[in-house]
Amino acid sequence: MNFRRLTALLASILGGILVVIVTFLAVYAWPAVRFNRLHFLTQNNWNLGNLYADPIMVRGQQVLPAAHYGILFLIAGTLLSTLVAIVLAVPIGVGAAVFLAEALPPVMRAWVSLFVELLAAIPSVVYGLWGYAVVIPFLGHHLFPWMVEHFGFIPFFGGHAGSGYGLLTCGLVLTLMIVPLITATVRDALVTQPAALREGAVALGASRFETLWSVLLPGVRRVLTGASILATGRALGETMAVLMISGNALNYLPNNIYSPISTMASFIVSQLDSALEDPTGMAVRSLAEVALVLCLISIAVNGIARVLLLYQDRQLTRAV
Amino acid sequence: MGATSDAETICPTGKTISSEPQGPLPATAAKISVRHLNFFYSRRQVLYDIGLDIPEKKITALIGPSGCGKSTFLRTLNRMFETVPYTRVEGEVKLDGEDIFGMSVVDLRRRVGMVFQKSNPFPKSIFDNVAFGARVNGLKNRDKLREVVETSLRRAALWDEVKDSLRKSAYSLSGGQQQRLCIARALAVDPEVILLDEPCSALDPIATAKIEDLLFDLVGSCTIIIVTHNMQQAARVADQTGFFLLGRLIEFDKTEVMFKNPSRKETEDYISGRFG
Repeated sequence: MNFRRLTALLASILGGILVVIVTFLAVYAWPAVRFNRLHFLTQNNWNLGNLYADPIMVRGQQVLPAAHYGILFLIAGTLLSTLVAIVLAVPIGVGAAVFLAEALPPVMRAWVSLFVELLAAIPSVVYGLWGYAVVIPFLGHHLFPWMVEHFGFIPFFGGHAGSGYGLLTCGLVLTLMIVPLITATVRDALVTQPAALREGAVALGASRFETLWSVLLPGVRRVLTGASILATGRALGETMAVLMISGNALNYLPNNIYSPISTMASFIVSQLDSALEDPTGMAVRSLAEVALVLCLISIAVNGIARVLLLYQDRQLTRAV
Repeated sequence: MGATSDAETICPTGKTISSEPQGPLPATAAKISVRHLNFFYSRRQVLYDIGLDIPEKKITALIGPSGCGKSTFLRTLNRMFETVPYTRVEGEVKLDGEDIFGMSVVDLRRRVGMVFQKSNPFPKSIFDNVAFGARVNGLKNRDKLREVVETSLRRAALWDEVKDSLRKSAYSLSGGQQQRLCIARALAVDPEVILLDEPCSALDPIATAKIEDLLFDLVGSCTIIIVTHNMQQAARVADQTGFFLLGRLIEFDKTEVMFKNPSRKETEDYISGRFG
Protein backbone atom coordinates (compact mmCIF):
# COMPACT_ATOMS: atom_id res chain seq x y z
CA MET A 1 0.00 0.00 0.00
CA ASN A 2 1.53 3.32 -0.94
CA PHE A 3 1.57 6.42 1.18
CA ARG A 4 -1.26 8.09 -0.65
CA ARG A 5 -3.60 5.18 -0.14
CA LEU A 6 -2.59 4.83 3.48
CA THR A 7 -3.38 8.45 4.28
CA ALA A 8 -6.62 8.24 2.32
CA LEU A 9 -7.59 5.22 4.39
CA LEU A 10 -6.76 6.96 7.66
CA ALA A 11 -8.71 10.04 6.65
CA SER A 12 -11.76 8.03 5.68
CA ILE A 13 -11.62 6.05 8.93
CA LEU A 14 -11.69 9.33 10.86
CA GLY A 15 -14.56 10.64 8.77
CA GLY A 16 -16.33 7.32 9.07
CA ILE A 17 -16.23 7.33 12.86
CA LEU A 18 -18.62 10.27 13.02
CA VAL A 19 -21.05 8.48 10.73
CA VAL A 20 -20.76 5.28 12.76
CA ILE A 21 -21.37 7.02 16.09
CA VAL A 22 -24.38 8.97 14.90
CA THR A 23 -25.80 5.90 13.20
CA PHE A 24 -25.31 3.78 16.30
CA LEU A 25 -26.98 6.41 18.47
CA ALA A 26 -29.89 6.70 16.07
CA VAL A 27 -30.41 2.93 15.90
CA TYR A 28 -30.09 2.47 19.65
CA ALA A 29 -32.43 5.40 20.39
CA TRP A 30 -34.95 4.41 17.72
CA PRO A 31 -37.54 2.81 20.11
CA ALA A 32 -37.40 6.01 22.19
CA VAL A 33 -37.82 8.17 19.10
CA ARG A 34 -40.91 6.11 18.19
CA PHE A 35 -42.32 6.33 21.71
CA ASN A 36 -41.50 9.98 22.48
CA ARG A 37 -42.34 11.46 19.12
CA LEU A 38 -41.86 15.21 18.71
CA HIS A 39 -42.92 16.22 22.19
CA PHE A 40 -39.52 14.93 23.28
CA LEU A 41 -38.22 18.28 22.07
CA THR A 42 -41.12 20.48 23.10
CA GLN A 43 -42.15 19.43 26.61
CA ASN A 44 -40.63 19.76 30.05
CA ASN A 45 -41.34 16.43 31.60
CA TRP A 46 -38.76 13.73 32.27
CA ASN A 47 -40.60 10.98 34.13
CA LEU A 48 -39.54 7.34 34.29
CA GLY A 49 -43.08 6.25 35.22
CA ASN A 50 -44.10 3.77 37.87
CA LEU A 51 -41.09 1.51 38.43
CA TYR A 52 -43.16 -0.99 40.45
CA ALA A 53 -45.94 -1.51 37.97
CA ASP A 54 -46.00 -3.94 35.09
CA PRO A 55 -44.89 -2.56 31.72
CA ILE A 56 -47.54 -1.64 29.20
CA MET A 57 -47.42 -1.34 25.41
CA VAL A 58 -47.59 2.16 23.94
CA ARG A 59 -47.10 2.81 20.22
CA GLY A 60 -45.57 -0.61 19.85
CA GLN A 61 -43.02 -0.09 22.61
CA GLN A 62 -42.88 -1.65 26.06
CA VAL A 63 -42.82 1.15 28.66
CA LEU A 64 -43.64 1.73 32.29
CA PRO A 65 -47.05 3.25 33.07
CA ALA A 66 -46.97 7.07 33.14
CA ALA A 67 -43.49 7.17 31.58
CA HIS A 68 -42.98 10.41 29.72
CA TYR A 69 -39.87 12.03 28.28
CA GLY A 70 -39.67 15.70 27.25
CA ILE A 71 -36.32 17.51 27.34
CA LEU A 72 -37.02 21.10 26.34
CA PHE A 73 -35.47 22.26 29.63
CA LEU A 74 -32.26 20.41 28.77
CA ILE A 75 -32.05 21.93 25.33
CA ALA A 76 -32.68 25.37 26.79
CA GLY A 77 -30.10 24.87 29.56
CA THR A 78 -27.46 23.66 27.13
CA LEU A 79 -27.96 26.36 24.53
CA LEU A 80 -28.31 29.20 27.05
CA SER A 81 -25.23 28.29 29.09
CA THR A 82 -23.22 27.97 25.88
CA LEU A 83 -24.58 31.27 24.63
CA VAL A 84 -23.56 33.04 27.85
CA ALA A 85 -20.11 31.47 27.65
CA ILE A 86 -19.52 32.43 24.02
CA VAL A 87 -20.82 35.97 24.44
CA LEU A 88 -18.40 36.47 27.32
CA ALA A 89 -15.49 34.43 26.01
CA VAL A 90 -15.10 35.94 22.54
CA PRO A 91 -14.43 39.52 23.66
CA ILE A 92 -12.36 38.40 26.64
CA GLY A 93 -10.39 35.92 24.55
CA VAL A 94 -9.73 38.39 21.73
CA GLY A 95 -8.80 41.09 24.23
CA ALA A 96 -6.35 38.79 25.95
CA ALA A 97 -4.90 37.73 22.59
CA VAL A 98 -4.42 41.35 21.56
CA PHE A 99 -2.72 42.08 24.87
CA LEU A 100 -0.40 39.11 24.50
CA ALA A 101 0.44 39.77 20.87
CA GLU A 102 0.66 43.54 20.86
CA ALA A 103 1.30 44.93 24.31
CA LEU A 104 3.63 42.45 25.96
CA PRO A 105 7.32 42.35 25.14
CA PRO A 106 8.16 39.04 23.41
CA VAL A 107 10.07 37.66 26.41
CA MET A 108 7.08 37.97 28.70
CA ARG A 109 4.68 36.91 25.98
CA ALA A 110 6.03 33.37 26.05
CA TRP A 111 5.54 33.05 29.81
CA VAL A 112 2.11 34.60 30.04
CA SER A 113 0.99 32.59 27.01
CA LEU A 114 2.16 29.43 28.70
CA PHE A 115 -0.06 30.15 31.68
CA VAL A 116 -3.04 30.94 29.49
CA GLU A 117 -2.56 27.66 27.66
CA LEU A 118 -2.20 25.74 30.91
CA LEU A 119 -5.69 26.96 31.81
CA ALA A 120 -6.91 24.83 28.92
CA ALA A 121 -5.06 21.83 30.30
CA ILE A 122 -6.85 21.80 33.66
CA PRO A 123 -9.27 18.83 33.83
CA SER A 124 -12.84 20.02 33.82
CA VAL A 125 -13.67 18.24 37.06
CA VAL A 126 -11.17 20.57 38.76
CA TYR A 127 -13.05 23.54 37.37
CA GLY A 128 -16.22 21.95 38.69
CA LEU A 129 -14.86 21.43 42.18
CA TRP A 130 -13.40 24.93 42.28
CA GLY A 131 -16.71 26.30 41.03
CA TYR A 132 -18.55 24.37 43.72
CA ALA A 133 -16.25 25.33 46.58
CA VAL A 134 -15.27 28.89 45.69
CA VAL A 135 -17.31 30.43 42.91
CA ILE A 136 -20.78 29.37 44.02
CA PRO A 137 -20.60 30.70 47.59
CA PHE A 138 -19.23 34.00 46.31
CA LEU A 139 -21.78 34.33 43.51
CA GLY A 140 -24.72 33.11 45.55
CA HIS A 141 -24.06 35.24 48.61
CA HIS A 142 -22.53 38.37 47.16
CA LEU A 143 -22.55 38.93 43.41
CA PHE A 144 -25.99 37.67 42.41
CA PRO A 145 -27.91 39.53 45.16
CA TRP A 146 -25.92 42.64 44.26
CA MET A 147 -26.77 42.18 40.57
CA VAL A 148 -30.45 41.69 41.33
CA GLU A 149 -30.42 44.89 43.34
CA HIS A 150 -28.62 47.02 40.75
CA PHE A 151 -29.45 45.43 37.42
CA GLY A 152 -32.78 43.90 38.28
CA PHE A 153 -34.56 46.22 35.84
CA ILE A 154 -32.94 44.45 32.86
CA PRO A 155 -35.10 41.53 31.69
CA PHE A 156 -33.91 38.19 33.12
CA PHE A 157 -31.50 39.94 35.52
CA GLY A 158 -34.10 40.48 38.23
CA GLY A 159 -36.15 38.12 40.36
CA HIS A 160 -34.79 35.52 42.72
CA ALA A 161 -31.00 35.53 43.00
CA GLY A 162 -30.93 31.83 43.83
CA SER A 163 -28.24 29.91 45.61
CA GLY A 164 -25.37 30.38 43.18
CA TYR A 165 -26.03 27.15 41.29
CA GLY A 166 -27.36 27.90 37.87
CA LEU A 167 -27.21 29.33 34.39
CA LEU A 168 -24.89 32.30 34.94
CA THR A 169 -22.50 30.28 37.09
CA CYS A 170 -22.29 27.65 34.36
CA GLY A 171 -21.78 30.36 31.77
CA LEU A 172 -18.95 31.92 33.77
CA VAL A 173 -17.11 28.68 34.45
CA LEU A 174 -17.55 27.58 30.81
CA THR A 175 -16.16 30.97 29.80
CA LEU A 176 -13.02 30.29 31.81
CA MET A 177 -12.69 26.93 30.14
CA ILE A 178 -12.97 28.18 26.56
CA VAL A 179 -11.17 31.53 26.79
CA PRO A 180 -7.72 29.88 26.56
CA LEU A 181 -8.75 28.14 23.34
CA ILE A 182 -9.76 31.42 21.71
CA THR A 183 -6.84 33.39 23.13
CA ALA A 184 -4.17 30.93 22.05
CA THR A 185 -5.49 30.63 18.51
CA VAL A 186 -6.11 34.33 17.92
CA ARG A 187 -2.78 35.31 19.49
CA ASP A 188 -0.90 32.99 17.12
CA ALA A 189 -2.79 34.41 14.18
CA LEU A 190 -2.06 37.99 15.24
CA VAL A 191 1.64 37.34 15.77
CA THR A 192 1.92 35.78 12.31
CA GLN A 193 0.13 38.63 10.52
CA PRO A 194 2.64 40.02 8.01
CA ALA A 195 4.64 42.95 9.38
CA ALA A 196 4.02 44.68 6.07
CA LEU A 197 0.34 45.15 6.95
CA ARG A 198 1.23 46.83 10.20
CA GLU A 199 3.77 49.06 8.45
CA GLY A 200 1.32 49.95 5.73
CA ALA A 201 -1.25 51.13 8.25
CA VAL A 202 1.26 52.97 10.42
CA ALA A 203 2.68 54.72 7.36
CA LEU A 204 -0.78 56.14 6.67
CA GLY A 205 -0.83 57.73 10.09
CA ALA A 206 -2.98 55.07 11.77
CA SER A 207 -2.65 54.77 15.51
CA ARG A 208 -1.91 51.48 17.18
CA PHE A 209 -5.57 50.94 17.92
CA GLU A 210 -6.68 51.81 14.39
CA THR A 211 -4.07 49.46 12.96
CA LEU A 212 -5.26 46.70 15.22
CA TRP A 213 -8.96 47.29 14.80
CA SER A 214 -9.22 47.85 11.08
CA VAL A 215 -6.25 45.99 9.65
CA LEU A 216 -5.01 43.22 11.93
CA LEU A 217 -8.26 41.96 13.45
CA PRO A 218 -10.09 41.67 10.10
CA GLY A 219 -7.14 39.55 8.99
CA VAL A 220 -7.71 37.05 11.80
CA ARG A 221 -11.50 36.91 11.51
CA ARG A 222 -11.43 33.47 9.93
CA VAL A 223 -9.26 32.09 12.67
CA LEU A 224 -11.50 33.64 15.31
CA THR A 225 -14.58 32.05 13.76
CA GLY A 226 -12.84 28.70 13.67
CA ALA A 227 -11.76 28.97 17.30
CA SER A 228 -15.27 30.00 18.32
CA ILE A 229 -16.72 26.92 16.63
CA LEU A 230 -14.35 24.69 18.59
CA ALA A 231 -15.14 26.58 21.77
CA THR A 232 -18.88 26.25 21.19
CA GLY A 233 -18.47 22.53 20.74
CA ARG A 234 -16.56 22.29 23.98
CA ALA A 235 -19.16 24.33 25.88
CA LEU A 236 -22.10 22.38 24.45
CA GLY A 237 -20.57 19.08 25.46
CA GLU A 238 -19.01 20.02 28.79
CA THR A 239 -20.17 17.50 31.37
CA MET A 240 -18.44 17.26 34.73
CA ALA A 241 -17.96 20.91 35.61
CA VAL A 242 -21.52 21.76 34.62
CA LEU A 243 -22.88 18.79 36.54
CA MET A 244 -21.31 20.16 39.72
CA ILE A 245 -22.48 23.74 39.43
CA SER A 246 -25.65 23.83 37.35
CA GLY A 247 -28.09 23.01 40.12
CA ASN A 248 -29.41 20.07 38.10
CA ALA A 249 -32.82 21.51 37.46
CA LEU A 250 -35.45 18.97 36.47
CA ASN A 251 -38.43 19.68 34.29
CA TYR A 252 -38.53 23.44 34.33
CA LEU A 253 -37.17 26.24 32.22
CA PRO A 254 -34.90 28.92 33.72
CA ASN A 255 -36.87 32.09 34.48
CA ASN A 256 -33.84 34.35 34.94
CA ILE A 257 -30.08 34.13 34.49
CA TYR A 258 -29.58 32.85 38.05
CA SER A 259 -31.98 29.89 37.73
CA PRO A 260 -30.72 26.34 38.13
CA ILE A 261 -30.44 24.50 34.81
CA SER A 262 -29.41 21.14 33.46
CA THR A 263 -27.52 20.51 30.28
CA MET A 264 -27.87 17.50 28.04
CA ALA A 265 -24.37 16.18 28.64
CA SER A 266 -24.47 16.42 32.42
CA PHE A 267 -28.03 15.12 32.52
CA ILE A 268 -26.98 11.91 30.79
CA VAL A 269 -24.37 11.32 33.49
CA SER A 270 -26.62 12.22 36.41
CA GLN A 271 -29.61 10.18 35.19
CA LEU A 272 -27.91 7.06 33.91
CA ASP A 273 -28.08 5.27 37.27
CA SER A 274 -31.78 5.76 37.77
CA ALA A 275 -32.52 5.10 34.11
CA LEU A 276 -30.97 1.66 34.48
CA GLU A 277 -33.70 0.83 37.02
CA ASP A 278 -36.27 0.87 34.25
CA PRO A 279 -36.78 -2.80 33.34
CA THR A 280 -38.18 -1.89 29.90
CA GLY A 281 -34.97 -0.07 28.91
CA MET A 282 -36.96 2.88 27.57
CA ALA A 283 -35.29 5.33 30.00
CA VAL A 284 -31.79 4.42 28.80
CA ARG A 285 -32.90 4.62 25.19
CA SER A 286 -34.37 8.03 25.89
CA LEU A 287 -31.01 9.10 27.32
CA ALA A 288 -29.47 7.88 24.08
CA GLU A 289 -31.97 10.07 22.29
CA VAL A 290 -30.73 13.00 24.41
CA ALA A 291 -27.21 12.15 23.24
CA LEU A 292 -28.44 11.99 19.66
CA VAL A 293 -30.05 15.43 19.93
CA LEU A 294 -26.86 16.84 21.49
CA CYS A 295 -24.85 15.39 18.62
CA LEU A 296 -27.19 16.85 16.03
CA ILE A 297 -27.18 20.28 17.72
CA SER A 298 -23.36 20.29 17.75
CA ILE A 299 -23.27 19.35 14.09
CA ALA A 300 -25.87 22.00 13.28
CA VAL A 301 -23.99 24.74 15.14
CA ASN A 302 -20.87 23.73 13.29
CA GLY A 303 -22.67 23.81 9.98
CA ILE A 304 -24.19 27.22 10.61
CA ALA A 305 -20.80 28.64 11.58
CA ARG A 306 -19.27 27.26 8.40
CA VAL A 307 -21.99 28.76 6.26
CA LEU A 308 -21.40 32.11 7.97
CA LEU A 309 -17.71 31.78 7.23
CA LEU A 310 -18.38 31.05 3.60
CA TYR A 311 -20.67 34.05 3.42
CA GLN A 312 -17.97 36.25 4.98
CA ASP A 313 -15.50 34.98 2.43
CA ARG A 314 -17.75 35.76 -0.45
CA GLN A 315 -18.22 39.25 0.97
CA LEU A 316 -14.57 40.02 1.17
CA THR A 317 -11.39 38.16 1.83
CA ARG A 318 -11.30 35.84 -1.12
CA ALA A 319 -7.57 35.26 -1.41
CA VAL A 320 -5.72 35.08 -4.70
CA MET B 1 45.82 51.62 4.50
CA GLY B 2 47.02 49.40 7.33
CA ALA B 3 45.42 49.55 10.74
CA THR B 4 43.00 52.41 10.65
CA SER B 5 39.84 53.58 12.33
CA ASP B 6 36.41 52.25 11.47
CA ALA B 7 35.55 55.20 9.33
CA GLU B 8 38.51 54.63 7.13
CA THR B 9 38.46 50.84 6.85
CA ILE B 10 34.86 50.73 5.70
CA CYS B 11 35.60 52.91 2.71
CA PRO B 12 36.65 50.67 -0.15
CA THR B 13 38.93 53.23 -1.71
CA GLY B 14 40.79 53.64 1.49
CA LYS B 15 40.27 57.34 2.05
CA THR B 16 38.02 58.88 4.62
CA ILE B 17 34.82 60.10 3.10
CA SER B 18 32.25 62.55 4.23
CA SER B 19 28.93 63.70 2.86
CA GLU B 20 28.19 66.76 0.84
CA PRO B 21 29.10 70.09 2.32
CA GLN B 22 26.61 70.91 5.03
CA GLY B 23 26.30 74.67 4.95
CA PRO B 24 23.21 76.70 5.77
CA LEU B 25 19.97 76.13 3.89
CA PRO B 26 20.18 77.05 0.22
CA ALA B 27 18.18 79.98 -1.11
CA THR B 28 15.88 77.79 -3.20
CA ALA B 29 13.34 76.23 -0.91
CA ALA B 30 14.05 72.57 -0.34
CA LYS B 31 11.06 70.39 0.53
CA ILE B 32 13.09 68.31 2.91
CA SER B 33 16.46 69.27 4.26
CA VAL B 34 18.64 66.95 6.25
CA ARG B 35 21.66 67.98 8.28
CA HIS B 36 24.18 65.85 10.18
CA LEU B 37 21.89 62.86 10.38
CA ASN B 38 23.25 59.88 12.28
CA PHE B 39 21.22 56.73 12.80
CA PHE B 40 21.80 53.89 15.24
CA TYR B 41 20.32 50.44 15.67
CA SER B 42 21.05 50.09 19.39
CA ARG B 43 24.87 50.62 19.37
CA ARG B 44 25.49 49.99 15.70
CA GLN B 45 25.67 53.12 13.62
CA VAL B 46 24.15 52.69 10.16
CA LEU B 47 23.99 56.27 8.89
CA TYR B 48 26.87 58.70 9.19
CA ASP B 49 26.48 62.44 9.01
CA ILE B 50 24.01 62.60 6.14
CA GLY B 51 23.21 66.02 4.72
CA LEU B 52 21.16 66.81 1.64
CA ASP B 53 18.32 68.91 0.31
CA ILE B 54 15.42 67.29 -1.49
CA PRO B 55 13.94 69.75 -3.99
CA GLU B 56 10.20 70.17 -4.19
CA LYS B 57 8.14 68.49 -6.94
CA LYS B 58 11.09 66.58 -8.32
CA ILE B 59 11.94 62.91 -8.33
CA THR B 60 14.93 62.04 -6.21
CA ALA B 61 16.44 58.59 -6.47
CA LEU B 62 18.61 56.96 -3.85
CA ILE B 63 20.91 54.21 -5.07
CA GLY B 64 23.59 52.08 -3.55
CA PRO B 65 24.40 48.46 -2.72
CA SER B 66 22.31 46.44 -0.27
CA GLY B 67 22.76 47.39 3.35
CA CYS B 68 24.15 50.84 2.57
CA GLY B 69 21.46 52.56 4.59
CA LYS B 70 19.27 54.02 1.85
CA SER B 71 16.10 52.34 3.12
CA THR B 72 16.94 53.34 6.67
CA PHE B 73 17.39 56.90 5.48
CA LEU B 74 14.01 56.78 3.76
CA ARG B 75 12.40 55.50 6.95
CA THR B 76 13.72 58.38 8.99
CA LEU B 77 11.92 60.83 6.72
CA ASN B 78 8.48 59.70 7.95
CA ARG B 79 9.79 58.40 11.29
CA MET B 80 8.81 54.82 10.39
CA PHE B 81 11.95 53.66 12.19
CA GLU B 82 10.21 54.46 15.46
CA THR B 83 8.20 51.25 15.17
CA VAL B 84 11.46 49.33 15.54
CA PRO B 85 12.74 49.17 19.12
CA TYR B 86 16.24 50.36 20.08
CA THR B 87 16.65 52.81 17.23
CA ARG B 88 18.06 56.28 17.72
CA VAL B 89 18.51 59.31 15.53
CA GLU B 90 20.75 62.34 15.82
CA GLY B 91 20.67 65.40 13.60
CA GLU B 92 18.10 67.52 11.87
CA VAL B 93 15.39 66.74 9.36
CA LYS B 94 13.14 69.57 8.27
CA LEU B 95 9.99 69.42 6.20
CA ASP B 96 9.25 72.87 4.80
CA GLY B 97 11.56 74.23 7.44
CA GLU B 98 9.71 72.50 10.27
CA ASP B 99 11.49 69.98 12.46
CA ILE B 100 9.89 66.56 11.79
CA PHE B 101 10.87 65.23 15.20
CA GLY B 102 8.92 68.04 16.80
CA MET B 103 5.65 67.50 14.94
CA SER B 104 3.00 64.87 15.66
CA VAL B 105 3.88 61.63 13.99
CA VAL B 106 0.36 61.21 12.59
CA ASP B 107 0.58 64.62 10.99
CA LEU B 108 4.02 63.86 9.56
CA ARG B 109 2.93 60.54 8.06
CA ARG B 110 -0.12 62.14 6.52
CA ARG B 111 2.16 64.67 4.81
CA VAL B 112 4.86 62.13 3.94
CA GLY B 113 3.32 58.97 2.49
CA MET B 114 5.13 55.72 1.88
CA VAL B 115 4.97 52.81 -0.55
CA PHE B 116 6.80 49.63 0.28
CA GLN B 117 8.95 47.14 -1.57
CA LYS B 118 6.36 44.41 -1.43
CA SER B 119 2.81 45.56 -2.08
CA ASN B 120 0.88 45.30 1.18
CA PRO B 121 -2.84 45.79 0.56
CA PHE B 122 -5.01 45.25 3.62
CA PRO B 123 -7.37 42.26 3.77
CA LYS B 124 -10.22 44.52 2.69
CA SER B 125 -11.99 45.56 -0.47
CA ILE B 126 -10.28 47.77 -3.03
CA PHE B 127 -12.49 50.66 -1.97
CA ASP B 128 -11.77 50.22 1.74
CA ASN B 129 -8.05 49.97 1.09
CA VAL B 130 -7.96 53.35 -0.59
CA ALA B 131 -10.40 54.89 1.87
CA PHE B 132 -8.41 53.66 4.87
CA GLY B 133 -6.09 56.64 5.19
CA ALA B 134 -8.90 59.13 4.66
CA ARG B 135 -11.02 57.39 7.29
CA VAL B 136 -8.13 57.34 9.75
CA ASN B 137 -7.86 61.06 9.19
CA GLY B 138 -11.47 61.55 10.14
CA LEU B 139 -13.29 61.66 6.80
CA LYS B 140 -16.68 60.00 7.29
CA ASN B 141 -18.95 61.45 4.61
CA ARG B 142 -19.71 58.64 2.12
CA ASP B 143 -19.90 60.86 -0.96
CA LYS B 144 -16.63 62.57 -0.07
CA LEU B 145 -15.00 59.19 0.53
CA ARG B 146 -16.18 57.93 -2.84
CA GLU B 147 -14.76 61.05 -4.45
CA VAL B 148 -11.41 60.63 -2.69
CA VAL B 149 -11.23 56.98 -3.70
CA GLU B 150 -11.98 57.73 -7.33
CA THR B 151 -9.52 60.61 -7.51
CA SER B 152 -6.77 58.59 -5.87
CA LEU B 153 -7.33 55.57 -8.09
CA ARG B 154 -7.30 57.83 -11.15
CA ARG B 155 -4.08 59.46 -10.02
CA ALA B 156 -2.58 56.00 -9.54
CA ALA B 157 -3.75 55.05 -13.06
CA LEU B 158 -5.77 52.17 -11.69
CA TRP B 159 -9.32 53.51 -11.92
CA ASP B 160 -10.16 52.13 -15.36
CA GLU B 161 -9.04 48.66 -14.33
CA VAL B 162 -10.96 48.44 -11.07
CA LYS B 163 -13.91 50.81 -11.30
CA ASP B 164 -16.36 47.93 -11.70
CA SER B 165 -14.93 45.85 -8.90
CA LEU B 166 -14.35 48.27 -6.04
CA ARG B 167 -16.05 45.88 -3.64
CA LYS B 168 -13.79 42.99 -4.54
CA SER B 169 -10.93 41.95 -2.30
CA ALA B 170 -7.68 43.76 -2.94
CA TYR B 171 -6.05 40.34 -3.15
CA SER B 172 -7.89 39.65 -6.39
CA LEU B 173 -5.60 42.14 -8.16
CA SER B 174 -2.32 41.29 -9.91
CA GLY B 175 1.01 42.19 -8.32
CA GLY B 176 1.46 45.36 -10.35
CA GLN B 177 -2.13 46.42 -9.70
CA GLN B 178 -1.68 45.79 -5.99
CA GLN B 179 1.36 48.05 -5.95
CA ARG B 180 -0.57 50.78 -7.77
CA LEU B 181 -3.38 50.26 -5.26
CA CYS B 182 -0.86 50.88 -2.48
CA ILE B 183 0.19 54.06 -4.26
CA ALA B 184 -3.46 55.10 -4.55
CA ARG B 185 -3.86 54.39 -0.86
CA ALA B 186 -0.91 56.62 -0.07
CA LEU B 187 -2.30 59.32 -2.38
CA ALA B 188 -5.72 59.28 -0.72
CA VAL B 189 -4.49 61.40 2.17
CA ASP B 190 -3.04 63.88 -0.33
CA PRO B 191 0.58 63.74 0.86
CA GLU B 192 3.16 66.36 -0.05
CA VAL B 193 5.96 63.83 -0.26
CA ILE B 194 5.84 60.18 -1.30
CA LEU B 195 8.58 57.80 -0.27
CA LEU B 196 8.94 54.69 -2.40
CA ASP B 197 11.11 51.88 -1.09
CA GLU B 198 12.10 49.78 -4.11
CA PRO B 199 8.50 49.77 -5.33
CA CYS B 200 9.23 47.79 -8.48
CA SER B 201 11.60 45.13 -7.22
CA ALA B 202 8.89 42.46 -7.28
CA LEU B 203 7.32 43.53 -10.58
CA ASP B 204 7.84 42.55 -14.20
CA PRO B 205 9.11 45.14 -16.74
CA ILE B 206 5.62 46.07 -17.98
CA ALA B 207 4.24 46.70 -14.50
CA THR B 208 7.45 48.58 -13.70
CA ALA B 209 7.01 50.80 -16.75
CA LYS B 210 3.45 51.62 -15.66
CA ILE B 211 4.65 52.68 -12.22
CA GLU B 212 7.43 54.79 -13.70
CA ASP B 213 4.92 56.56 -15.98
CA LEU B 214 2.81 57.11 -12.93
CA LEU B 215 5.70 58.79 -11.13
CA PHE B 216 6.01 61.31 -13.95
CA ASP B 217 2.32 62.12 -13.62
CA LEU B 218 2.54 62.50 -9.86
CA VAL B 219 5.61 64.64 -9.67
CA GLY B 220 3.62 67.65 -10.81
CA SER B 221 1.78 67.59 -7.50
CA CYS B 222 4.16 66.06 -5.00
CA THR B 223 7.76 65.44 -4.16
CA ILE B 224 8.92 61.90 -4.80
CA ILE B 225 11.82 60.05 -3.24
CA ILE B 226 12.50 56.57 -4.59
CA VAL B 227 14.97 54.03 -3.33
CA THR B 228 15.99 51.65 -6.08
CA HIS B 229 18.42 48.88 -6.77
CA ASN B 230 17.92 49.36 -10.43
CA MET B 231 20.29 51.99 -11.75
CA GLN B 232 18.56 52.18 -15.12
CA GLN B 233 15.41 53.04 -13.24
CA ALA B 234 17.16 55.84 -11.39
CA ALA B 235 18.60 57.10 -14.66
CA ARG B 236 15.17 56.97 -16.33
CA VAL B 237 13.02 58.64 -13.72
CA ALA B 238 15.07 60.75 -11.35
CA ASP B 239 15.89 64.44 -11.55
CA GLN B 240 18.65 63.96 -9.02
CA THR B 241 20.28 60.96 -7.55
CA GLY B 242 22.02 60.25 -4.30
CA PHE B 243 24.56 57.46 -3.96
CA PHE B 244 24.84 55.76 -0.56
CA LEU B 245 27.71 53.55 0.46
CA LEU B 246 28.23 51.95 3.85
CA GLY B 247 26.02 54.42 5.64
CA ARG B 248 27.39 57.53 4.00
CA LEU B 249 26.02 59.73 1.26
CA ILE B 250 28.89 59.69 -1.17
CA GLU B 251 27.49 61.93 -3.82
CA PHE B 252 24.27 63.77 -4.51
CA ASP B 253 23.77 65.60 -7.77
CA LYS B 254 21.68 65.95 -10.91
CA THR B 255 21.06 62.51 -12.35
CA GLU B 256 22.86 63.24 -15.65
CA VAL B 257 25.92 64.44 -13.81
CA MET B 258 25.85 61.40 -11.52
CA PHE B 259 25.67 58.94 -14.37
CA LYS B 260 27.81 60.69 -16.96
CA ASN B 261 30.35 62.57 -14.98
CA PRO B 262 30.43 61.58 -11.32
CA SER B 263 32.91 63.46 -9.23
CA ARG B 264 33.66 60.61 -6.85
CA LYS B 265 35.51 57.48 -7.76
CA GLU B 266 33.19 55.29 -5.66
CA THR B 267 30.17 56.51 -7.59
CA GLU B 268 31.81 55.81 -10.89
CA ASP B 269 32.86 52.34 -9.75
CA TYR B 270 29.35 51.50 -8.61
CA ILE B 271 27.60 52.90 -11.64
CA SER B 272 29.95 51.20 -14.04
CA GLY B 273 29.34 47.93 -12.24
CA ARG B 274 32.78 47.47 -10.78
CA PHE B 275 31.23 46.51 -7.44
CA GLY B 276 27.91 46.42 -5.66
